[in-house]
Amino acid sequence: MSRFDLDVERTVRKACSYEETAPKRKHVRACIVYTWDHKSSRAIFNAFKVQPLAQDEISLFKALISLHKILQEGHPSAIVEGIRNREWLESLGRIYPGGGGSGYGHLIEEYVNFLLQKLKFHRVHHGFNGTFEYEEYMSLVTTSNPDEGYEAILDLMDLQDTIDKFGRLIFSSISSGRRSECKISALVPLVSETYGIYKFIMSMIRALHNQTGEDDALKPLYDRFCEEHYRLFELYADCSAIKYLTSLIKIPKLPSSAPTLEASEG
Amino acid sequence: MSKSLIRKAKNVVNGYSSTQVLLREATSNDSDGPSVELLDEIAERSWDNVSFFEVMDMLDKRLNDKGKNWRHVAKSLTVLDYLVRCGSDHCVPWAKENLYIIKTLREFIHEDEMGVDQGQIVRVKARELTALLLDDERLQEERSLRRQNRRPRRR
Repeated sequence: MSRFDLDVERTVRKACSYEETAPKRKHVRACIVYTWDHKSSRAIFNAFKVQPLAQDEISLFKALISLHKILQEGHPSAIVEGIRNREWLESLGRIYPGGGGSGYGHLIEEYVNFLLQKLKFHRVHHGFNGTFEYEEYMSLVTTSNPDEGYEAILDLMDLQDTIDKFGRLIFSSISSGRRSECKISALVPLVSETYGIYKFIMSMIRALHNQTGEDDALKPLYDRFCEEHYRLFELYADCSAIKYLTSLIKIPKLPSSAPTLEASEG
Repeated sequence: MSKSLIRKAKNVVNGYSSTQVLLREATSNDSDGPSVELLDEIAERSWDNVSFFEVMDMLDKRLNDKGKNWRHVAKSLTVLDYLVRCGSDHCVPWAKENLYIIKTLREFIHEDEMGVDQGQIVRVKARELTALLLDDERLQEERSLRRQNRRPRRR
């Protein structure tokens, strides 16, 4: 079987199986590669929709992790399709209000919350990709239109706050043992996303600083940036303590004090 | 030894071309990596249009192989890395076009029967190759450097 004729539904079903483990990377990857091969994500989302996600908290949580990954790494059409399906996504958050048997209820609620906010951000601000990888032209847009840039930074910071809150919730729910791998695996996309956002905010603030030179107007933004810097620093420090994470991804190292507005290298 | 015999039989049965046989040899499941001579030969053949597609087709298959065959994936990354640096001018656009295949390998996991994660090597290679492909300046430099050090290639 070539990678082009993939049995989408079976792959999705395997990605969100009942076992309390991380969603298998090979299945998630197959979904991501599928969206690039076909330049469309409709089949993937349809396959998620027919899964019996309401029957099991763990498979629902795994589905959310997989969806997040697909939004991040998939073809840009994944984000478009995600925006189209946000009502369905919202309905997923209502399945286990406030708890549920194995303690995934809150996590699911918060995850859905975050994904909706992410999609809303992408709907308003075009030109960002799923992982917020740094692209030069975006900061150019910012400097040519400071008002829009200011707004984008504020929205990015709101998103960053939501992720931070969600990250804390995951950490507070982790217990030792192999079974928590499922929860920990949700941190993988979060780390890459927060770092992407962090770098974006930093370069945007610097670009604004260079362009306008009005430090008074930027002061509240910069203060909030510093605050988020310290929280992110702590989050990464916590992540570095988990062996499963450090072996799988490279956890970025932030300087212990927040960077200044003066643009230096990197 | 029998494994390589089986591979030779498969080469004949499936009717692979000589280029494809070379590539299968280079990305086999043996524990030692492909030799430089082999890599050079493949890079040389990538200048030919027909064998270029044969090489890339087979690489594509190997890169998307199962976790059990993690050696296929790891060695394919080695070959692709070599091609990007020393292969024909077609190799870089191909790799960029298919960057998502490499990018998504950055989180490759495979646990063998002993529960040891063998994916580390694939993750590291995929990460390095992605970084190289995204850095046009470095890529240009690498390629021109290699060209100077080698005998002029036939076209």
